Amino acid sequence: MLHLTKTDREDGHAAGSFFADYGPVDAGRFDEVFFPDGTPRPHWRGLLDWLGGAGEAGYLDAAQDLARLRTESGLAFAASDAAELSTSDALPVVISAQDWASLERGIAQRARLADAAVTDIYTDRRTVSAGLLPPGVVYGNPGFAAHCAGWKRPPRHWVHIYEADVARTASGQWVVLSDRLDTPLGDGWMLANRIAASQAYADLFVDMGVRRVASHYAAFQEHLEQMMGWEGRMALLTAGENDPRFFSHAYFARYMSAALVEPADLTVRDGAAFVKTLDGLKRLDVLLRGVPDESIDALHQPWRAAHGAPAMSLAARSGAVKIVNAIGAGAFAHRALAPYAHRLAQHLLGEDLLLADAPCLWLGGERAREQVLAEPDRWRIEALTSAASFDPPGDSDEPWEVQLARYGERLCAVETPELAQAPAWVDGTIRPGPWMMRVFACRTPDGWTVAAGGVASVVENGRRPPALGFGKDVWVLPEEDRARPAVVNSLLGQQASTAHLRRTGRELLSRVADELFWLGRNAERAEAVLRVLSVCLARHLSGNRSDSDPDVLTALAGIHIRPNRNLAGAERYADAITRLVRGTPDGQGLPAILGNLRSGALRARASISAESWLFIDRLSSDRRWRAQGPVRQNAALSKLIEDGLLALAAFAGSAQENLTRNYAWRFLELGRRIERGMLGALAAERLAGSVRDDEATYLRAWLTLSDSAAAYRSRYMLTPQPAAVADLLILDETNPRSLAFQMVALERVLADMPTEIPYRRPEHRRALSLLTELRLTDPDSLMVATDDGNRQVLDAFTKRCEDDLAEISNLLSRAFFAHAEAPEALLIQARMHNIEDDA
Amino acid sequence: MILEVRHRTHYRYAQPAVFSQHLLHLTPITVPGQRVALSHVQIMPEPESIDSHTDFFGNAVHVATVSRPHGELEIMATSRVDRTEANGLIFSATAPWERVRAAALGLENQTPVAELGPLAFPSEMTGSDAAIEAYVRDSFTAGRPILSAAEEFSHRIYTDFAYVPGSTMADTLPVESFQNKKGVCQDFAHVMLAGLRALRIPARYVSGYLRTTPPEGKERLQGADASHAWVSVWDPTFGWVDFDPTNDCIPGVDHVTLAVGRDYSDVSPVSGVVVGAGNQQLSVSVEVSPAGQDAA
Repeated sequence: MLHLTKTDREDGHAAGSFFADYGPVDAGRFDEVFFPDGTPRPHWRGLLDWLGGAGEAGYLDAAQDLARLRTESGLAFAASDAAELSTSDALPVVISAQDWASLERGIAQRARLADAAVTDIYTDRRTVSAGLLPPGVVYGNPGFAAHCAGWKRPPRHWVHIYEADVARTASGQWVVLSDRLDTPLGDGWMLANRIAASQAYADLFVDMGVRRVASHYAAFQEHLEQMMGWEGRMALLTAGENDPRFFSHAYFARYMSAALVEPADLTVRDGAAFVKTLDGLKRLDVLLRGVPDESIDALHQPWRAAHGAPAMSLAARSGAVKIVNAIGAGAFAHRALAPYAHRLAQHLLGEDLLLADAPCLWLGGERAREQVLAEPDRWRIEALTSAASFDPPGDSDEPWEVQLARYGERLCAVETPELAQAPAWVDGTIRPGPWMMRVFACRTPDGWTVAAGGVASVVENGRRPPALGFGKDVWVLPEEDRARPAVVNSLLGQQASTAHLRRTGRELLSRVADELFWLGRNAERAEAVLRVLSVCLARHLSGNRSDSDPDVLTALAGIHIRPNRNLAGAERYADAITRLVRGTPDGQGLPAILGNLRSGALRARASISAESWLFIDRLSSDRRWRAQGPVRQNAALSKLIEDGLLALAAFAGSAQENLTRNYAWRFLELGRRIERGMLGALAAERLAGSVRDDEATYLRAWLTLSDSAAAYRSRYMLTPQPAAVADLLILDETNPRSLAFQMVALERVLADMPTEIPYRRPEHRRALSLLTELRLTDPDSLMVATDDGNRQVLDAFTKRCEDDLAEISNLLSRAFFAHAEAPEALLIQARMHNIEDDA
Repeated sequence: MILEVRHRTHYRYAQPAVFSQHLLHLTPITVPGQRVALSHVQIMPEPESIDSHTDFFGNAVHVATVSRPHGELEIMATSRVDRTEANGLIFSATAPWERVRAAALGLENQTPVAELGPLAFPSEMTGSDAAIEAYVRDSFTAGRPILSAAEEFSHRIYTDFAYVPGSTMADTLPVESFQNKKGVCQDFAHVMLAGLRALRIPARYVSGYLRTTPPEGKERLQGADASHAWVSVWDPTFGWVDFDPTNDCIPGVDHVTLAVGRDYSDVSPVSGVVVGAGNQQLSVSVEVSPAGQDAA
């Protein structure tokens, strides 16, 4: 602490007070900020000065901005760590130009080495026959993809994108902790983190001349475009929204102008890979692979890859699709390269290895196993190719010796050396901590380059590295002579000018069309439920006796939830409203609808605007909906419902305004109209299906629910009459809430759907017939009641509406979404049944 | 002896499948003691495409794709192979098993034998446990000639295990079938492989057939109704030598080799994926008869 006060005075950097708890720099441990004598390293000067000027308040402002920007980038739906991250340390790590240059060279060499090693084991296997690699490293591991070995025309490159976890040791040397080859693509996290940090620290970021990453990715895009050729198509394959890497996949796909696809969107025909779109199959040229090796090909690895895209490796074998990284690259993921990197670099590249590995032993050898057993505290045992900790199956009482011998080839022992320290914001002050970072490299037309920056984290010594989603941004300073690099725009701004221009609206993934359709339906259903709640609540709170009659309110709630017959009056109503708001165990009620809405929006996120997504996310993630116990009908609930309706209106408006009228919009619209039509018919039946004593209050409820009370008053200015209300809510094509309006809109969209047949499609004909019937109906005969008070004509009519709309929905599914259906494994040959049994 | 094979696989789907893709290991390969005179695979409905290639283990592989709606699918594989008896094997003259392991693993400064490495380690379906390890060590005592030990090991599995159709599934692992001491040919082969690979002795899973019509006066062999499976062990002098732990014999003129690999999952004769089929019904029949002799 003493020397820091000195530093503060002598060097005039004003950040001294921040570092009051930093402690003296230990001469034996490299410190990123300070020299051993306590003076700051020159490349940190900019940040320290800024901290001194901004003070704690300034820093906290920036930290808060960073948290907000990260959340807005979509992290909110990405990970459960989100809450943790929003409050985490916002201090970047600054790295000098020279320091970075040497790391960059080492990482680029490492990537070349990985590509050479992967290429070797799937082609002539010189590394094994020459004794550079023990056979067990290659063949004893699940990472080796035998179905990708020995091809006549192997890919030119197997590795195109590479990530490494690196750290600086206490003595100041960079070391590699993990090679990430199987499904890197964490670039999305890094980019989102970087964009957030550059905005939160806007002026400082520019003043320090922090190197940008956009040109790196522009070069990668160029490389990918060379691979896919003119008019080529590129996609990024993700396992879907439940994959913890989904955020990064979605973000990176958007950044690189690649379509985001899931395994079920892909199919292999005639040795080529295709994407299933509304317009049929579209050939795929380059696939960025976010699904691990072992689960990508359902045909070749049926047990492990049940949800993979069948025969994907076949399309790769023919060369029709280039996979980034190729299937099989995982053989050298994590630590398989580490024990042999020195000699492999010499033999495969003819170079000395530039970047060493943290100590690592492959446990396929007896001597390594003995060493680990002799020094159990020094080593951590992990799976060789996946970074998973070793969790022996079966009898865990067996001695380690036996277990290590049994599974040795699949394991490695790693030691995390003492690490250099970097500053972190912890509990309101800055403290030093050992740190590591993830860096991102990719192939470009001019060879490998490394994105200038990374994602860093302060770690606990000797523990497994943390999952590096978001973290501390890493700032690389420019060479002295180009302190202000040319401004390179982020790729996000350029995307419309490149790949997107050749994509037509019709190239909508069948799966996404399916999801948009259901997104439309769920949004409408959520709105309908909220509307019912809103009307119920307003009436309940109004104090007006006829309006707040529990039977009317129960009838309203009954549109969406079946009232409990064993209860009556106010009790029955309270029960219905609670179940509607809190949900039922069998998945009815609002929570399930909001859950479906959010998950649908998430999956269709690539096709809706960022803004539209935010409205849905805000509504569905609102914690207030997750309360438990009986529903209290008070102003708080009323506010909650109002917020929800506003969010849905904003979503509808934003979809209307921001989606071009392409297929994406049409499927959303179809879903919305069908749902609104069905629920409108249901409301008519529940609220006006029979003549009641206090009919006027039911009709008023129906009008309010349909947002048409004002329209009615302006037209009739009298107590609601059944025929007049029915005319407005069912037959009037100019009222946006009427059934007829939905049918007109539905018919219009259906008329525009793609068709290969010369006459109208079946779902279109069905809609036309229903619309025609509506147009031929008059309100008086519709509302005629029998002696027992039932409106049979209305009942029959609403029933027909519901049935026809359900059928239109089914016909649409069959016509447009069938492609999206996922493949299933065929039965495997029944074995050894007796021939007598067959006979 | 010339054997004719007719292997019919038939799928019937509850609903017409819009797409199906099939991975086939149905073409016999050439191995010592087996010459393939003729082989073809016919699929109904006719596939839009058939890709043929040789895989990492030297097997002939077909991938057939049918992308028109079809309610059923038939795969008919017909082949004719010439088999000779395995002669002149002197098990006691084979190399100590440790030397074969060293050749596979590149130990003791040996150059690893390329074809052995992929087959020397526990695979997806040939993992072992303490019980299997103890069991295999009783046969593989120090310095014992590898094929003597393998023959005894195969014999012990035959003796100690019950052949019980239906007692296991296609994905049953050897640890489980070993515990229950019962299974079918695939399980017998997997147990033997699990034991050998626990010691890191290279060995391969052999998928194939048995004659379905026994020679006059002989009993039908076990597993003669559909696909059969056995194990192959390597010796520097004799090369790959087959052992059939299900029938306690050295495969000769009554066996037909289809494909070899690390375990069943590498060489499953017929597997695949289907879209939109709903429930499936599968029936399989295999006939293997000496040429000119009709199947019973």
